[in-house]
Amino acid sequence: MTDDDDLRARLRRADPAADLPPYDTSHLLETTMTATTTAPRRPMLTLAAAALVLIAALGTWFLLRPSGDPAGPVAAPTVTELTAPGIAAKCVEPSADRLKEAADFAFAGTVTGVDGGTVTLKVTKVYRGAAADQVRIAQTGDISETMLGSGKFETGKDYLVASARGSMLICGYSGEASAPGLPQLYDTAF
Amino acid sequence: MDSVNSEDRRQRFEAVAPAVIDAVRRFLARRTDPSTADDVLQDTLLVCWRRFDEILPVRPPSQGGTAPDAVLPWAYGVARNCLANAERSRRRQGRLLARVWRLDRPAEVVPAPDGPDDELTAALDALRAEDAELLRLWAWEELSPAEIAVVLGISPNAASIRLHRAKQNLREELRKTGDAAGHEESTEGSRP
Repeated sequence: MTDDDDLRARLRRADPAADLPPYDTSHLLETTMTATTTAPRRPMLTLAAAALVLIAALGTWFLLRPSGDPAGPVAAPTVTELTAPGIAAKCVEPSADRLKEAADFAFAGTVTGVDGGTVTLKVTKVYRGAAADQVRIAQTGDISETMLGSGKFETGKDYLVASARGSMLICGYSGEASAPGLPQLYDTAF
Repeated sequence: MDSVNSEDRRQRFEAVAPAVIDAVRRFLARRTDPSTADDVLQDTLLVCWRRFDEILPVRPPSQGGTAPDAVLPWAYGVARNCLANAERSRRRQGRLLARVWRLDRPAEVVPAPDGPDDELTAALDALRAEDAELLRLWAWEELSPAEIAVVLGISPNAASIRLHRAKQNLREELRKTGDAAGHEESTEGSRP
């Protein structure tokens, strides 16, 4: 046992935090406890990174997608296609007012299929904008932080998606319908 | 969440937070550079605050409900995950950038008071990362095997067995580096 004590003592002498200067905790504590009551649940950085990733992914998809689309479904439902904004790498806290202001199209939908990079959603409710039966959006395979909720489109799940001039709004404005706060945001905005 | 409850929650958090902040700061200072440590400390505290109810099911203080000791292993576990996240996203930003960053800012981590113990550092480096972490939690954070188990999310039994082995391995490494006396800096080629 004494051997253990020796070992522990030797390790302790090498402790890099042994003489860490004192630190005023009150400020950090205050920001922490106030931050959570107002800030969205996901950290800003994640959202910013997610925005960039989605922009890149949608951009790539937009460039590579077939120009004509002759193989569309025969019944030809109204299809709305969304792309990503080329700006907005940083996110501010989502607010119903801004959503109301920015979004010209917003809907609730269920993912019916994920095919390669394209996600197809069956529209269940249009909050704002022209009625559509189907919406197609691009998804980046294994990137998991693009939206609120689980972070990506998965078949069978319900989503709330808003867009402005054909660009999907992220930064806390679109995501899984079960994501905390998102349905309320939509209810308040529309 | 009515206001009475949230006020009560606030007070309970405020009671343990300073001790937790101090401990987690040390935990991070031992494991990463100062600026990452700052960021991760904030993240960790935020997670602790949000999930405070999960660790401290409402218990009166008389029953140890707000004892910092009871919270610490859990908080270390949170810090560990936050640090792993931070390092993962940094790696994602580019391995080269990360390397430059690290080279540019040589460990501002305060050197040990008695001067660096090169042999010990080399021996720790030679161990498996998991073993070295167990030893740090044991010696630096001064945790018992049961508490280490909480941090690492393993069973107390496993923690205690692994800790025992890690100590043996460290002694073994120290013996090896001791034998190879005069051989400094490089850990390469120090194999017998």
